Amino acid sequence: MNIYLPIAELSVNIFIILSLGGAVGFLSGMLGLGGGFLMTPLLMFIGIPPNVAVATSANQIVAASVSGALSHWRQGLVDVKMGMYLLLGGLFGSFTGIWIFKLLSNAGQIETFLAIVYFILLFSIGTLMLIESSQVIRDRIRKRTVKRKLHYHNWAHRLPFKVRFYSSNLYISVIPPIIIGYFIGILSATMGIGGSFILIPSMIYFLGMPTSKVIGTSLFQIIFITAFVTLLHATSTFAVDAVLAFSLILSSVIGAQLGVIFTNKFRGEELRALLAIIVLAVAFKIGTDLLIQPTDIFSISVIKELY
Amino acid sequence: MRNILAIFISLFIYQGNASALVIGSDLNEITIGANFSGQDLLVFGAFYSDPSLPRDAKGDVIIEVKGPPQTVQVRKKKPFFGFWLNNAEVTFKEVPGFYYLISTTEINDEILNKNNITLLSDQDTQEIEWGKIRMPKDRHDFMNAMKRNKNNLDLFAINNDSTQIDILDGNLFKTNIPIPNTVPVGNYTVSVYLLINSELKKGYNYDFKVKRIGIESVIHNLAINFPLIYGLLAVFLAGFMGWISAEMFRRLRKT
Repeated sequence: MNIYLPIAELSVNIFIILSLGGAVGFLSGMLGLGGGFLMTPLLMFIGIPPNVAVATSANQIVAASVSGALSHWRQGLVDVKMGMYLLLGGLFGSFTGIWIFKLLSNAGQIETFLAIVYFILLFSIGTLMLIESSQVIRDRIRKRTVKRKLHYHNWAHRLPFKVRFYSSNLYISVIPPIIIGYFIGILSATMGIGGSFILIPSMIYFLGMPTSKVIGTSLFQIIFITAFVTLLHATSTFAVDAVLAFSLILSSVIGAQLGVIFTNKFRGEELRALLAIIVLAVAFKIGTDLLIQPTDIFSISVIKELY
Repeated sequence: MRNILAIFISLFIYQGNASALVIGSDLNEITIGANFSGQDLLVFGAFYSDPSLPRDAKGDVIIEVKGPPQTVQVRKKKPFFGFWLNNAEVTFKEVPGFYYLISTTEINDEILNKNNITLLSDQDTQEIEWGKIRMPKDRHDFMNAMKRNKNNLDLFAINNDSTQIDILDGNLFKTNIPIPNTVPVGNYTVSVYLLINSELKKGYNYDFKVKRIGIESVIHNLAINFPLIYGLLAVFLAGFMGWISAEMFRRLRKT
């Protein structure tokens, strides 16, 4: 059965869209990641134009992060103040991101840009996850426990404009959270992702936040960043496809809940190793598409007249 | 709307053996709704002449369908350090968003060109922004690339398979024109020409519309005319669905 997407202006098989949303939702529920970094490239693989894939993916993440943030909020695991500083940087970052996106679109390079950044991103995430999970698996087999540092003191503690974050038990400068937020905002607007996989380690290693508060705070700020990115795309690239977003949200929220149920039955590191392999496979596909001579070295794009 | 049977009639008398055309179609608009996945347009007609005349004497028909004009950019990739990146760019203006040509016999290009039965008229060809592309051969490559890419999207076809025009009884003809799901909205023109002894007699044109209806039309209009409201609605809908799903599954798990 086909469904017509009013903004992408093409019809797609509804079952492909639903299973894509379900699968990405399942993975994100299972691993606690947003999944936007898989959603956008997979949408482009099935023929959705890059601008629609990015803008609509951002819209879908709003739903995923609201759903995830609520449970952390109830348990008091959101540092709202830290979230606000990240958000402040993020708002400026999304403006920059949209500007970059439009610049590259007009130059006809957005597809290549997305392919390159997605390749780098997915390749690094996949490799890191594979190394990390295989180490944990190896340590488990050797029955070794690894001691980890609880708190990191670094340059973030020496910069000016220090503020006390009671919730996270921190007294650090506001500059690092704003800069991190700014960077995440650019990524969100250009790539249609939440950026939690970069945000979470940054909050732990650069800001020294307690790991218990990190996921909730990251989801909290992602809600607002992706909401803002959706608005920016809706008003400047006109590429948010509500029908596509609705189908993806519907299937991904169900997939995410199934993923949560599933995750209790398996070990985290084995699931992460599995996801690492999926991520590397997507990276490999994007990478080879860039390097192998395309079957047609010409491509066309229609300049949309808005009426 | 299939139930509206639109019939357009054209008559013109060809001196001597009195041959002419009557043509019609089953649609005067194609509507894009939520389940639109392309549609066939039936074009039919009759040779209006003495039925006893042999088939050859009645002439041949050429059917041309043209969609609304668009600006199309064609880009050529070039390897940079092993990466295939878009490089040269050519902009074509007034390219029909959909083009389809079929005839009952093979027609030579000379006749088609002379009568402007082509994707781009001479005037449109002059408006192409060639940019850095100067060599005639390279320009030709770009033109072909544009046609090939549009063909892959089912938006450009010169159908040389004459058998796809059914001729019944030597007098009636009909053919189905496949309108794909990627068609742009706007005004379309169907032109049917009668060709006798390699000489083109003026044919008949009629228009039909491709338009969005229902939810497709509402969403598209909102997104284009009120983007801020549309964006806010999209965000609130997403937030609401996220909240509802979290609540629903929380209750499910409790019980």
